[in-house]
Amino acid sequence: VSEAVVEALAQWPERGVPERPGAWLFTTARNKGLDRLRRERTYRRKLELLARIPESPAREPDDRLRLIFTCCHPALGGDAQVALTLRAVVGLTSAEIARAFLIPEATLVKRITRAKRKIVVAGVPYREPEPEDLPERLTQVLRVIYLVFNEGYFTTSGPQGLRRELADDSEWLASQLVAWLPGEPEPLGLLALIRLHLARWKARSGPGGLVLLPDQDRTLWDRERIAGATRILERAASLGRLGPYQIEAAIVAVHCEAPAWENTDWPQLLELYSLLEYFDSSPVVTLNRAVVVAQVRGPRAALELVDGLRPALERYHLFHAVRASLLRRLGSQSEAAEEDAAALRLTSNPAERAILAERLEFAQTHESST
Amino acid sequence: MKYVLLLTQGAWQEEGSEESKGEVYARIGGWFEKLRADGTIVDAMQLQPPHTATTAVIEDGRSTLIDRALLEAKEAVGGYAVIEVADLDAALAIARSFPVPDGKVEVRPAVEH
Repeated sequence: VSEAVVEALAQWPERGVPERPGAWLFTTARNKGLDRLRRERTYRRKLELLARIPESPAREPDDRLRLIFTCCHPALGGDAQVALTLRAVVGLTSAEIARAFLIPEATLVKRITRAKRKIVVAGVPYREPEPEDLPERLTQVLRVIYLVFNEGYFTTSGPQGLRRELADDSEWLASQLVAWLPGEPEPLGLLALIRLHLARWKARSGPGGLVLLPDQDRTLWDRERIAGATRILERAASLGRLGPYQIEAAIVAVHCEAPAWENTDWPQLLELYSLLEYFDSSPVVTLNRAVVVAQVRGPRAALELVDGLRPALERYHLFHAVRASLLRRLGSQSEAAEEDAAALRLTSNPAERAILAERLEFAQTHESST
Repeated sequence: MKYVLLLTQGAWQEEGSEESKGEVYARIGGWFEKLRADGTIVDAMQLQPPHTATTAVIEDGRSTLIDRALLEAKEAVGGYAVIEVADLDAALAIARSFPVPDGKVEVRPAVEH
């Protein structure tokens, strides 16, 4: 990310809309015309599956917007929101969704049926939320899209092709949301975040399985996609309303712009993590920030921060892994070994360990640099 | 559509001065008055405190009596309102506007024949 973007994000500017709003959508839209057509068709077909959908052909984009807000209504559980959205908006079959989430198809069908029944019986409306409800409702929609992305991107189980499709579906959903709500910065932030992650897809797997960020071959990264995603993020920032997805995207962008792990712009990351903490004060975000603190201010400052997280993260293996690496850098070898053992005790599955490690990408810093 | 709002007791009813409780009750009174006046609330009732309740338990066709409320005092229903609105969003908006410092409002669609 250029300095300008971080500045824009941090200062909540009033620069206004870029000169050619909409043009970026075409330049950065993914080159999957056929795929899109397929979705358009299944979308129309699946539309009929959801209860209370008007008979008339879907007028875009209003009908789709109504559809996704209905699927992600807070009266429905998180799992049901995800299933309904994939079924009705993306147009996946129940079998496809069940396979992607590794659950029996019957379970998935039951989940969707129950959700549809609740929509009818409880009177969930088929319409966009009122403007005053939009921030809260949009958060739910973004969460569902991000969950779909996470399932595709961070899960090791299931066939890789299927997971990639799920990740692509989330990208498609995010790009639709952006087109429907062009004045909202957080959908742009989420789209940028997803595209920045996907631009690194090829570099993430090697012969030994998952390759973590510090060890990735950066020549495999899709520079064009990264540039496109960064432009989307710039557009989000220009709207002048900061949010967690924009910040997360900026964090990934900082990594994408570093020529090598060692050249990462740590001070800029630290600033972004502090901003993220403002929106999402979860201990895991603080643990991430602590790892960046270690890079900027040294391991002792980081350890102090991490120790404060013990009550919340004692059962989280990466808490111990981060402590271990910090202690090692401070020369406390035996304490570090104890923490390593604690981390191992808390995770049995090596694949899961690797995946969680990537979710906390920076937590691996020390292990790879020492 | 018809919904029943189940209004739970709140901690505010146990704590605070009589004066501040009085203010809350006044706000609740105003809320009911306004929503009855515009036809949103078609029926409502405040219940006596849960310790006044007696519960009949029926098993295998035989009944026994319990000298207390069905639910824990914290979650006990303190009243209900039947509302007639367009859809769930409208019902939820009313539920969220219930003017108490704390408490829960369950929104249940009614069976309509």
